[in-house]
Amino acid sequence: MRAGLPRRHPRLGDPWLGQHMTSSLHPGGPLVVVEDVHLTLGSAAGPVNILRGISLEIAGGETVALVGPSGSGKSSLMMLLGGLERPSAGTVRIDGKDLGGLDEDALARLRRVEIGIVFQSFHLIPTMTALENVALPLELGGDRNAFAAAARGLAAVGLGHRLGHYPAQLSGGEQQRTAIARAFIADPRLLLADEPTGNLDGATGGLVIDCLFEHQALHRTTLLLITHDASLAARCERQLKLADGRLVEDRRMAAPRRDAAHQAW
Amino acid sequence: MVSGSPLGLACRLARRELRGGIGGLRVFVAALVLGVAAIAGIGSLAASLSAGISGNAKALLGGDVEAVLAYRPAGAAERVFFVHSGTVSQVTTLRAMARTAEGGRPSLIELKAVDGIYPLYGAVALSPAQPLGAALARRNGRFGAVADPAILDRLGLKIGDTIKIGEAALQLRGTIAGEPDAAASELVLAPRVMISSSALAETKLIQPGALVTYRYRLRLRPGAEAGAWVAAARAALPQAGWQLRSSAQASPGLQRLIERVALFLSLVGLTVLLVGGVGIGNAVRFHLAGKTATIATLKCLGGSTRLVFAVYLIEIMALALFAIAVGLALGALLPVAAAPALRGVLPVAARLGIYPRPLGVAALFGLLTALVFSLWPLAASGRVPAGALFRDMVERTRRRVPLTALGATAALAACLAGLAVVSAPDRAVALWFVAAAIAAFALFRAAAAAIAIGAKALGRRRSPMLRLALANLARPGAATAPVVLSLGVGLTVLVAVALVEGNLAREVETRLPQAAPAYFFIDIQPGQLAGFAAIVRGTPGASLDAVPMMRGRITRLNGVPVEHAAVAPDARWALRSDRGLTYSAHLPEGSRLVAGKWWPADYRGPPLVSFDAELARGMGLKLGDTLTVNLLGREITARIANLRRIDWQRLGINFAIVFAPGTLEHAPQTDLAAVYLPPAEENGLVRAVTERFPNVSAIPVREALAAVDRVVGTIGKAIGLTALVTVAAGALVLGGAVAAGHHRRVYDAVVLKVLGATRGMMLAGFLLEYGLLGLVTALLAGGLGSLAAAFVVIRLMRLDWVFLPAPLLWTLGLALLLTLSLGFAGTWRALGVKPAPYLRHE
Repeated sequence: MRAGLPRRHPRLGDPWLGQHMTSSLHPGGPLVVVEDVHLTLGSAAGPVNILRGISLEIAGGETVALVGPSGSGKSSLMMLLGGLERPSAGTVRIDGKDLGGLDEDALARLRRVEIGIVFQSFHLIPTMTALENVALPLELGGDRNAFAAAARGLAAVGLGHRLGHYPAQLSGGEQQRTAIARAFIADPRLLLADEPTGNLDGATGGLVIDCLFEHQALHRTTLLLITHDASLAARCERQLKLADGRLVEDRRMAAPRRDAAHQAW
Repeated sequence: MVSGSPLGLACRLARRELRGGIGGLRVFVAALVLGVAAIAGIGSLAASLSAGISGNAKALLGGDVEAVLAYRPAGAAERVFFVHSGTVSQVTTLRAMARTAEGGRPSLIELKAVDGIYPLYGAVALSPAQPLGAALARRNGRFGAVADPAILDRLGLKIGDTIKIGEAALQLRGTIAGEPDAAASELVLAPRVMISSSALAETKLIQPGALVTYRYRLRLRPGAEAGAWVAAARAALPQAGWQLRSSAQASPGLQRLIERVALFLSLVGLTVLLVGGVGIGNAVRFHLAGKTATIATLKCLGGSTRLVFAVYLIEIMALALFAIAVGLALGALLPVAAAPALRGVLPVAARLGIYPRPLGVAALFGLLTALVFSLWPLAASGRVPAGALFRDMVERTRRRVPLTALGATAALAACLAGLAVVSAPDRAVALWFVAAAIAAFALFRAAAAAIAIGAKALGRRRSPMLRLALANLARPGAATAPVVLSLGVGLTVLVAVALVEGNLAREVETRLPQAAPAYFFIDIQPGQLAGFAAIVRGTPGASLDAVPMMRGRITRLNGVPVEHAAVAPDARWALRSDRGLTYSAHLPEGSRLVAGKWWPADYRGPPLVSFDAELARGMGLKLGDTLTVNLLGREITARIANLRRIDWQRLGINFAIVFAPGTLEHAPQTDLAAVYLPPAEENGLVRAVTERFPNVSAIPVREALAAVDRVVGTIGKAIGLTALVTVAAGALVLGGAVAAGHHRRVYDAVVLKVLGATRGMMLAGFLLEYGLLGLVTALLAGGLGSLAAAFVVIRLMRLDWVFLPAPLLWTLGLALLLTLSLGFAGTWRALGVKPAPYLRHE
């Protein structure tokens, strides 16, 4: 996939075997550490406690499903991990870096190299072609080979023939696959996906999810996937369940159905 | 509102829409208020000044009617006619030199000698307060004089001192604080000094051929009508060669000036409205784009295209009426605000009040503009399909606008153009304006399209922020076109005005004085010329041109009285009052023969004239036609032997009418001399001439030019100020476009943040976008403004064109300042937005 580019984050361990991976397998400790995080947002009806003391660790290479009813705080937790929201209390560490100690621009730089995000609503820039959208994270980092890499990335998601198309000229599924190519382009260590199939029909959604897991497997990226879909959650190694701002369940799956991804692709 | 009727339903729905706030339509309201206020304000101000003139017409004219004679006092027959008509007051005006008893530097004055019953209407205000008659009367063997306060400074005089005029020594008894008929004399070069008619005789300034104007003002007998008197006077004494005016045209020069300036300013006001119209269209489009879901819902519930159109038309028109009402109120107040500032500039006070005509015209302009610019987006809004609710809201195709809407927009635009022409006092100018407006709109529209194409072509830049900036300029629905158009038009006007004014100022301040004589000496009696020339020749570095001069009025063209002749507007000035004329054996310097042949130096045949080629064209005269001139009550008809093109820029002596030898040699005349000399010798020469020849007046060219320069500067400032209002309208459109693009910018900023862009990068990107917009707009405006200015300077003013970089630079600066600061304000808010809420709920 990105054969032309040296990997920036050589990983240890084989994720294919990592059914019971713990932080001990990864030098430098877990990739994601969340300690007693609270999030309170103001609203018209007064402050609302979104998250009430969440603590968790995610090891490098793990695939984690984040489930729970609407309003349980899933998206908020993801925003905190992506540095897009700051906790009211508690700390969030990504790869050992305390996000609380980074200013807005440092957070942006961290996302550029360490974190890829896929949204339910795709969030492509409408004035840029698919190729330009995908190249953007590398371009922001000053990478001269951004376009070549983006073209390969788009080919890998099956959009090699759509490089010059604008988002409005792409179908929903194509837009989301573009977004996935974009999220993986900088070879991030952590990939956050917020209901990536929520705006897509079943068949298209399946294609997109297969694409996501395929990339995750190839890059051995740590994946945190928000979903309402139990079968989708079941494809992850671990399920975290949120309810009313608290972590109520942390379950490791016996046999994640990784093979499904390969068959579909 | 009729409940149940389709219209009633539309009204109800429109009211509910308005209940949601006007949001993006604020720019719509602001643009309409600004434009309507500008037109209503300028119209009201002009109307109140005109009312001020006609309300004080008799005082301004000095009587019910006035007969003006050049050179000669009224003869016996004329006096009899006056006396039979009513009460007559005689005022004599001329230019003269005033000196102090100590013999300091003499100063040119506008001398006015009045009789005992002056003024027939109004009153002269003096400081210290005293009756005019007493101030001018002979006391202790000396007549009194009152003067413009400026003369006190120039001569170093104070009240009670002696002031010498001609051969008379008078006592300065007060200064003039108010002169009711001050606007009666058209060209004022020097401060006023007023004396009595008896004192005038003592000055001995009235010599044969002296440039003296006799004004007879009459208070007609009760029941007599001024217009009828003028007709009767013309019929009774057709040979008088006088200029007759009734109080209906009390101050034609001032009235003309006000009309000209008002016409120009109201065209600028119309420009403001048109520029604002771009913002109006944009705001309506943006407002309706946000209503797509509402419109689709209405349609799902069974609302027709017609209903949707009606709902939003009613909403927009309700807002338009509100904005027009506010604009009219502000416009009606403008004269109140401007009157104190104008009091010192104009000799007449504005008569404040509500003037329905200019307000009605402004309201109509506002309504038509609002309709022209909003009809199109309104018609498109009716076409939103009900299915829009169920598809994603991305607009994939442009909605087709029905042909009827297109036709209606064109018809309304034609009405707007028609109103502009019909409501203007000068239709030709208004027609030019309409043509220029259409051309400017087309030009800027094309330029905006070129920018979009250029941005697209350049779009594949490697820097992502530059690419984003270029993409935002080229994006479909981008604000590029409206911003370039609206800001560009305002800046073009600003550049053109600045360059025209700069060229004119340069001409008046530096170029003219280099070539021009330092002084004109007038009223040199034939017997004095030798002595005068000896004084000039005795002055180091001095030289002179002298020609005989007399004044006469053109009364007939090819035998047709000028009142009945068809004369082009640009030639009418030559018929309004007396013209200087001369006779010469040789072609005058600074003239070029363009038709016909110059006469032999010893010509002695029937009267021939050489005429200015441009005036001849304006009056429809050609070689061989005749020109009749009234000279001291005698009509002389001469054949046009040749036409000359005159280089007025040299400011040397030149006359539109030059007679061949053999006709005027024995008419009463004086000599006019242009003297060229170094500035250091000026004082000495003027003093020597005035000491020896008290009747000879010296007109300092430099001071006259400075006066012209001041007038040009004042008018230029007024025009520049109104051009700034146009730029303000452009800024409003820009602000509206920035506000309309806010959601897009926030979205871009949020996504870019997610992908790892720092604030500095994004700020640079957005500022690049607005900087490019400002730069391109300024360059376009600079280019078009320079072209327009060059056209005016070269073709209309016939001056040499010089490119002045300064106005262009500050226009560029202003454009960048506006686009960058408004863009920065919008961007800063976008960058400060927390991304999470935008990513969460989509």
